[in-house]
This record gives sequence, C-alpha cells and structure tokens, in this order.
Amino acid sequence: MLSRVANNLIWLDRYMERGNGILSLLKVNFYANQDSPELFSWTPIIKNFTTSENEFYTEDAIECIDFMVFNLSNSNSILNIVTKARENARSVQEHISRELWLCINNYYLYLTKKDLPKRLREEDPVEFLEDLRKHHLIYNGTFDVTQERGPSYYFMNVGKFLERVIQISDFTALKLIEIGKTSDSLEQSFYWKNLLLSVGGYQYYLKTHKSTFNEEHIIRMVFQDKLFPRSVYYCVNKLNRQINQLIEANELEKNNLEFLLGKLESDIKYTSIESINTQGLNNFINGIKEDVRNISMNINSVYFSHIN
Amino acid sequence: MSKDHLISSYDQLPSTWDEMYTTNAQIREQYKTIIEILKNTSTDTLTKKEELSKQLFMTQGVTFTVYSDNEGIEKIFPFDIVPRIITAKEWDKIEKGIKQRLKALNLFIKDIYNEQFIIKDGLIPADLIYSCPNFLREMKGVKVPYDVYVHISGVDLIRNNDGEFYVLEDNLRTPSGVSYMLENREISKRLFPGILPKSKVRSVSNYPNMLYKKLKELSDLQNPNIVLLTPGIYNSAYYEHTTLARLMGIELVEGSDLVVKNHFVYMKTTTGLKQVDVIYRRVDDDFLDPLEFNAKSVLGVAGIMAAYRKGNVNIVNAPGTGIADDKAIYIYVPDMIKYYLNEEPILKNIETYQLGKPEEFDHVVKNIKTMVIKKTDGSGGYGMLMGHEASDAEIKDYIENVKKKPENFIAQPILRLSTAPCYINGELSPRCIDLRPFALSGKDGIDICPGGLTRVALKKGSLVVNSSQGGGSKDTWVLQ
Repeated sequence: MLSRVANNLIWLDRYMERGNGILSLLKVNFYANQDSPELFSWTPIIKNFTTSENEFYTEDAIECIDFMVFNLSNSNSILNIVTKARENARSVQEHISRELWLCINNYYLYLTKKDLPKRLREEDPVEFLEDLRKHHLIYNGTFDVTQERGPSYYFMNVGKFLERVIQISDFTALKLIEIGKTSDSLEQSFYWKNLLLSVGGYQYYLKTHKSTFNEEHIIRMVFQDKLFPRSVYYCVNKLNRQINQLIEANELEKNNLEFLLGKLESDIKYTSIESINTQGLNNFINGIKEDVRNISMNINSVYFSHIN
Repeated sequence: MSKDHLISSYDQLPSTWDEMYTTNAQIREQYKTIIEILKNTSTDTLTKKEELSKQLFMTQGVTFTVYSDNEGIEKIFPFDIVPRIITAKEWDKIEKGIKQRLKALNLFIKDIYNEQFIIKDGLIPADLIYSCPNFLREMKGVKVPYDVYVHISGVDLIRNNDGEFYVLEDNLRTPSGVSYMLENREISKRLFPGILPKSKVRSVSNYPNMLYKKLKELSDLQNPNIVLLTPGIYNSAYYEHTTLARLMGIELVEGSDLVVKNHFVYMKTTTGLKQVDVIYRRVDDDFLDPLEFNAKSVLGVAGIMAAYRKGNVNIVNAPGTGIADDKAIYIYVPDMIKYYLNEEPILKNIETYQLGKPEEFDHVVKNIKTMVIKKTDGSGGYGMLMGHEASDAEIKDYIENVKKKPENFIAQPILRLSTAPCYINGELSPRCIDLRPFALSGKDGIDICPGGLTRVALKKGSLVVNSSQGGGSKDTWVLQ
C-alpha cells in the first residue's frame, strides 16, 4: 500500500473518532451544565480542543456548541474535522468501500447545508447533536459491514483506537483537574459520573456496580475493563491486534512497535489500583499518553522512512 | 394544460440544425419515444427529476470544489435531463471518421518525432512545427510500444447547419469528461427507468475495462503495476481521476508518491519501493518532469522522462502529443489524412484562416463580424474573440494584440452549433451543443465507446459550451 494512503487511512479514522468523542462530550456537558453551570463550565472543553492561540471562550451553551461544530478557525470544529476526513476519504476511494465514501460525503453535505446553524439556534440542541452523532454511528456500522479485512481496515482501526485512547486519557485528565479543585465528595462524585457519561460507560457502570459512585471502580472500568469498548485497556488490546496483523502482512516493521505495545498493554492490565493511587492517577495517565505518543511516532517513522 | 405545453414554445434558432426537429417542425424519429414520455410527464414530476439529478451528483460526490475564503464549496457540473440522441447511421460515420483521423494523427506524431517525411515533402513548414510550444524535442527518436502515441483521445465535434459533423478540436493530450459520460448514464437510468433498453441505447459501461485492457497491453508483464497519476485534490477533474482509478482497480498516485531510481519508476509503499510499469497520467507534459520541463513543478516526478526514454516505464498518452492537436496544425489534418492514408477525410475540418498570412488576415478583418479568432495554444474557451457579439472597441483592441504575433492566432467562421432540447424553467428550449466521443487506441486498433460527452451552452443563444463558462452536459444516447 502507498505510504500516503496508509497515512490518510489512519487519519481518516482518527478524525471520525475525534468527531464522535467531541459530540458526546458536548451533549453530556450540555445536560450537566443546565443542572450546575458552576461545576460544568464550557471553558475547559474549548481549551482542550483548541490551540493556545485561541481567544474565543464562552459560557453560553449554544455559542459554545456553535463554535465547536461550525467555527472554521477552530481546527477541531466538527466541520473542519469532517472536511479533513472527507478529503482523506476522497483521496483513497479505491481503498475504502464505496458505501463508506458515500457515507462520509453525505455527512459532509449534511454539515454544510445552509440552514443547519439555524437549527442549532432554534431547535432542540440535544437532537441537533444526536443527528450529527448518527452519522458517526452509520460510519462505524458501514465500515464494519462493507470494508474487507485487509491492510486498509487495519490501518483505519489503528487510527480509531489510537485516537480513542488519547481521548479517554484527555477526558479523564480534564475531570481530574476539576476534582482537584474541590474537597466536597458529592461534587467529586458528580465529576466522576460525568466522566462515565462522557466516555459512554454510564449504563455499563450501573449494571456492574449499581448507583454507587466509587472512585476506584470508575478508574478500573475506564482504564482496565476488558469488556467495555471505550476502556483504555480494550483500545490498547485492539490496537495491539491490528498492528500485529499489519506486521504479519509486512505492512509495518516490527522495530520497537511490538515491544512498546506489549509493554503498554501489560502495564495497564497489571497495575493494581493501589499502585495507581500511590503514583497518582495523573502520573499514570501521563505514562499512558507518553507510551501512546511513542507508538504513534513509531508508526509514523515507518511511514516517513519510505518517503525519503 | 395541454400536453403540448412542454414544446409549444420551442423556438428554433434560425438556420441552425436542431437535433429534435426537422426544418418543418417534425420530430425526428430518434426523439419520438423520449418526447412522448416527457409530454406525458407533468412539469412537477420533470422538475422533481431535475432536482433528483442534482442531488444524485452531490451525494455520489460527482463534484469539484471551489475554494474561497478558506471554505470549500462543492459544485456540480450542470446536467440537463433530456438526453441527446444519435442514430446508428450518424454514429457509424462519426466512428469511421474519428478512427481515420486518429490513425493519421498518430502517424503524424510518429513522423514528426522521427524521420519528418511530411516536412521534407513540403506539406507542413518546419518552422510551424518547431515554433509550436507543444512540440517536445525530448521526444525525438523515442521508441514507443506499437508506435501508439495517442492512447486516449476526446475529439470535439460539432454539427453545422448542413447537418454534417465537423471536427472542432482533436484533444490528444489529457482529455477529460469521460467520467461524466459514465455518470450521466447512471443518472439517466434512474430518471427514466426502463426507457434505455426500450430505446435500444448502446451501453457505455464497458469503458473502464476497455481502458484497462489498453493500459495493460503496453507492458509485457503478466500483472503490470498500472497507476493513475493525478495532480491532486485541488484539480477540477480530481473526481474523474478517483473514479477511473476505482473503476479499473488501479492505484491513484500523486507526484510525491513516485520516485525514480536508476531509471526505473517506483512508488513509495508501506512495504518499501514498488516498481511502476504503466502510468496513465493526468498531468500535463509541462509538469511531468521538473528536470526536463517546468523546473518549478511539484506535480511531476524528477527523472521520469529519462526512465521513459529507456523504455523502463510507459506513459499514457505519450509526452509530446500536443504537437498534433495544436490549433495551427489543425489546418493540416485533412492533408495528413491524404498524405499518410491516401484517403479522403470522412469528417470535415472547419474552414480556418491563419492570421500569419497577410491575405488571410485581411479577409478575416474584413469579415470580422462573422468570425471567431482563437489563440493557437489556447483552450477552455478562453482568449477568444467572437466577432458577432464584440464591440468595435473590443475588436480593435484584439486586432492590435493579434498584430504583435499574428502566427499565434487563427480565425474560423462563427459556426451554427446544432441545438438540442433542454429542460429549462418548465419547458423545452433549444440550446447549442457539441459532442466529445472517447477513443482508445492500442496494438489492435482503435475502439470508440458508443456515447460520449455532450456539452451544452445553457445560456440562451450562447455558443460556448465549456464548463468554465456556463456550460453543462447531457447524457448521450447512441442507438443500436
């Protein structure tokens, strides 16, 4: 496969996964913000997804959603993300299924409809966000049932799971900052619950632990659960498998990749909650982020080594 | 409302051939079925069909992006729902005529880059060849497989008021529009279900297979690595590049994906360098190789021409074919046909005056109101002067400009492009059209896909069909 194509496939899925994460975060924060705006402000969200040069901040929910969805100077606005995803998909059309291309193209056309910003301002903002998210669900479903299990599929999955690990780590770090600001255990439990909602694990948590918010249970679920598809462990495990498939097909070189991934997977799996508490969750997350960065650089270096 | 409302106000242009109506307003045989169907469909339904066609182009991504203020706007090439219909007899002549012409043009290119008999025999002046910007010295003496230079061509035809087809331009470099031939047909299938088979319309869907076969036979390998080289996503024909690559199952590459090593061309893959055997390039000669042509080009591949001359890679079309579709050379094509093939031209050329010749210059200036002046190396409908609609001041300015380098200009009488019915604002109106059939040449001869791109000047009375200037397209039905 062309190196440029591999790179575009990875980024196609990274963008789509990022879009999905941002949309769920916006929805969850919208509800929480209506309840207690002092706990769930919009500023940290804008901060997390924009560069240091950004000067736009707002505490108005609709303004913020508008900025996060439509603003062209926000490089992580849904419109910008989907535009880039579409450009990537467009340039690799002979590698992805026809259905998948049509699905991304339709999402883009939907987003660029003239009356869409008006809908956000005049109608139910939750439905507005849900309608956008549906495109991501359709994308994932279409990908699953139409894409052949070859290198394209694995490269795209690499992008998806890389992005997801980074997102979960970021979301958690974001909440930890807020949690650190308060000693009120009720407030803290709100934040933990909000984290679960943001990563889409609330329902599963209730099924497993009922309605008692125990910090350790939450950390274990978000980081170490084997069945929850948005846990860090689940994503790293999947990433490991996709990369091994690519190594087997000679599409990627072993180098350090296998080692880095194996190490990260066992680190997450075998670190006890006591040990996480001793080193501090923040440090634990930073360690994961550092490893993921290394893995991502390794994949890039394989890609770039053939460019020059 | 009467059923005839649709065509009751059909205003035929004076002394113009109409594809649907005869001169005494009888509907030609080939249009009867479709007109009957249109008449029996309400205006609402037709307008809905028109909407549907626009939507289909958008959702299928048959678009090009226009960038302004950082924002990309998706545009579609306007499409008229009423097909343009060509009878089997008309097509037969078109097919024979194009084959004859391409055969001669290909022999001409071979001759020019080798022995140059046509110059030695005094048919074409040497300075005309050497002053032509599309003549590539770099191609002299280069051997190409089966002596085929022009593998893919899109000859532009128009039908004059005598009902005959004339060749307007030969388009032997990187003609585009074939994806619209394919896409327009897919849309027609959905707009008029069942009508295509009922009307016995010949299928165009085989084009990608035909093209792949021609590309494959250029290599001796069992399984050659064939790629399509695109200038990239900002090119207005990018949609076509992705479509052709997808339909043939070949890799779409950009210049930066390729590299030349020891006179072989490779593409950079995740598993290392992989040799490339055949390149269907949609990059112009000028940008193909920064070492030999435009040094600033980032669209091409450094060293690709050297690899090509060594026979280590095939480039389609061959570089340098532009010498044969130059507007100054066009004048000589009928002579070439006689010279190389000893045949009479089947398709006519449009009478053309060379402004470099004083007596022809005078004739053109005297009859300027009935003339169109073009630059010999121009394309896309730019830089032309249409005598009948230009002001006296415009004409004066233009002639002053011509005088600086008259050999760079030619003039032709303003033609009466034939008109075809278009669905505009709820009724059928005649609009000027042309026709671009697509021909593929290879070791076993020339194949022409039964169909093509019919371009239409959607502005009332306009003769310019180019998409950059308000043109659209129609599906082209060739009947069995």
